[in-house]
Amino acid sequence: MIRLLAVIKRDLLKFRRNPVIMFLSLVLPIVYLVILGNSFQGKLKGLPVGVVDLDGGPASRDFIQRLRAIEGGPGTFDLLFMKDQGAAVRQIREGGLKAALIIPPDFTRRSLARRRAQVGLFLDNTDAISAMTIRETMRAAFAASGIEYYPVREERAQKYLRDIDLYKKIDYDQSLVPGVVIMAIFLGTLTTGAFNLVMDRFLGIDESYLLTPLTKGDIVTGLIASGVIITTVITLIVFILSILITGISLWGGVRQFMLLLFVILLTTLGLLSMMFIFLGRVGHPRIVGLLTGFLNVIFFFPSGAVYPIESFPRWLKAFAKVNPEAYAVHAFKSVLFKNAGVGAIWGDMAFLTAFTVIAMTAGILAFKRTL
Amino acid sequence: MSAIEVKELVKKFGEIAAVNGVSFEVREGEFFGFLGPNGAGKTTLIRMLNTLLKPTSGKALVAGFDVVKDADEVRRAIGVVPQAMTSDLDLTAYENMDIYGRFYSIPARERKERVGRLLDIVGLTQRAGDLVATYSGGMRRRLEVVKVLVHRPRILFLDEPTQGLDPQSRRTVWELLKAFKEEEKLTIFLSTHYMEEAEGLCDRVGIIDYGKIIAMDSPEKLKGELPEQDTVVLELPDATEEIIRALKEFDFVQGVKQENGTLSITVKNGAHVTPLILSKILEFGKTVSSVSIKERSLEDVFIYYTGRSIREEEAKKVSMFIGAGIPKKLVQR
Repeated sequence: MIRLLAVIKRDLLKFRRNPVIMFLSLVLPIVYLVILGNSFQGKLKGLPVGVVDLDGGPASRDFIQRLRAIEGGPGTFDLLFMKDQGAAVRQIREGGLKAALIIPPDFTRRSLARRRAQVGLFLDNTDAISAMTIRETMRAAFAASGIEYYPVREERAQKYLRDIDLYKKIDYDQSLVPGVVIMAIFLGTLTTGAFNLVMDRFLGIDESYLLTPLTKGDIVTGLIASGVIITTVITLIVFILSILITGISLWGGVRQFMLLLFVILLTTLGLLSMMFIFLGRVGHPRIVGLLTGFLNVIFFFPSGAVYPIESFPRWLKAFAKVNPEAYAVHAFKSVLFKNAGVGAIWGDMAFLTAFTVIAMTAGILAFKRTL
Repeated sequence: MSAIEVKELVKKFGEIAAVNGVSFEVREGEFFGFLGPNGAGKTTLIRMLNTLLKPTSGKALVAGFDVVKDADEVRRAIGVVPQAMTSDLDLTAYENMDIYGRFYSIPARERKERVGRLLDIVGLTQRAGDLVATYSGGMRRRLEVVKVLVHRPRILFLDEPTQGLDPQSRRTVWELLKAFKEEEKLTIFLSTHYMEEAEGLCDRVGIIDYGKIIAMDSPEKLKGELPEQDTVVLELPDATEEIIRALKEFDFVQGVKQENGTLSITVKNGAHVTPLILSKILEFGKTVSSVSIKERSLEDVFIYYTGRSIREEEAKKVSMFIGAGIPKKLVQR
């Protein structure tokens, strides 16, 4: 234990005396926010939308046909037909659906009687871009069926689409906060942990601890532990600044904050462990520089942090399934915007935990104890 | 008992054998030196003995432990001052030593006492709280030496410990090593390409060239094995061909070499024949500015066994093997 703590202490002292790295770790995520926030546009495809048709009459069938046409044409939706509206809303809360369309039992009857008929559209508005796309596409489908769309409070039409945001309104800046946090974690894990090993190797001072009884496990886990401390502190500062700037309130209180902290810690641990696989044998910081851009592109962009995963082509969606940052973003968004509990993010946490264990084991095995 | 036992040790990088079938023993308490030019295989050999490199073949025991099978025990028994300065520049001297002591799980109180005492011995107590980045080269080297003594190793390895130091700092390090050897009852294994370092410090010296040991004994015995000859060095900028020819006619003259305004004359029994040489030069109407008789040194031993000067070798040889400042990727392929 004393040896492990020694590795941690050494690493922390060295970090504290490098203000440039500290400064860049804080500033770069915000710069990235500005640049990336304006860089992503694209048509969304395959947004999972639940359809609960409690009516089954001609009017509802006609409307569903139009939705199927959109599914088969532009492909904006992937329609999932369900029987239980409660289950559909629950799936939105758990992240399985982006929206749920509920067609009530009296929809056709009311339509034919030219009485007031409505359908309900429940939206996951924590993903502002997807929610907006679904709302607009539904509105177009309504218009095509000859039924006018009116907002909820306008009572002029007989039939209308009533859309319901499940959560408090999230503006664009606020929607980027999870991305900023994940970026802070990513940069933190790049400039601590395995990176210090690369620098020691480059400066030729790695011999000083390779010649001691420190084991591979001592060195790798010690550097990861110090990296977790540094990165978590930086990320928390970035997070607190972000919510102050964008005006997000943590309405779930301490429980919500602790869960967010847990997501940050687990993500940091996973990414630091992963860095040992990539950088464990690298001997020049220039290689780290090159890898930074590459790793950023392949992990951050397809994470759903800035633009929904549903806008990606099929191959990139498949990659997102094994991208730890995608799980981190999903978990962070769920807790931050939906005040979700452990139950809603346990899948993300399970993936990140398994990823961390595998990456750390591989990192230790890949680390070479000799020159 | 032997502190170090090496049998037929080989290390190859691709097709190049950096160490090629080396065998030797170092006795406990001995100050043993490895002498050779850069690229001779000294650092590679030390790194194998320190567990940093795995031998291609052969066997080495350090403090009775196999360097491959019992690497951890070897690391606990040794202290190593590598060729490069390895202390963290971002930390103070005290922090460097304290953390090093923690790597060996030395209890806090013992660590504090030991670090304080060692820093005191090398005169760094006043600067113990300063960042190592602010130290001079000599101070850093002193720190390097004492840092690896915190855990009381039985065997101390030093790879070119005075390279790049000014003469005064070099002498300080030598004095420290002598003192620590006695006080800590250390076995010291030193690699160097400085003749005077090997001669002044070592009980025994092994001369290594192209990965092989070509001679090994005490400096005195190695010099004693040379044929009886001295070198008379005359400062004579305007020496002519006639003078050189006339000197070569003496029976006792074995060779004459003209270089940079000096004549180096290899003779038997230099002290007796020098007046005869000076008389001959006077006959040509020339005056000698200075005369010196060079005694046999380890440099002569190296020349005797290899046919080359170690300094000539230094100048022309590109370092092929691992050494400080040479990217490892280049040399390990």
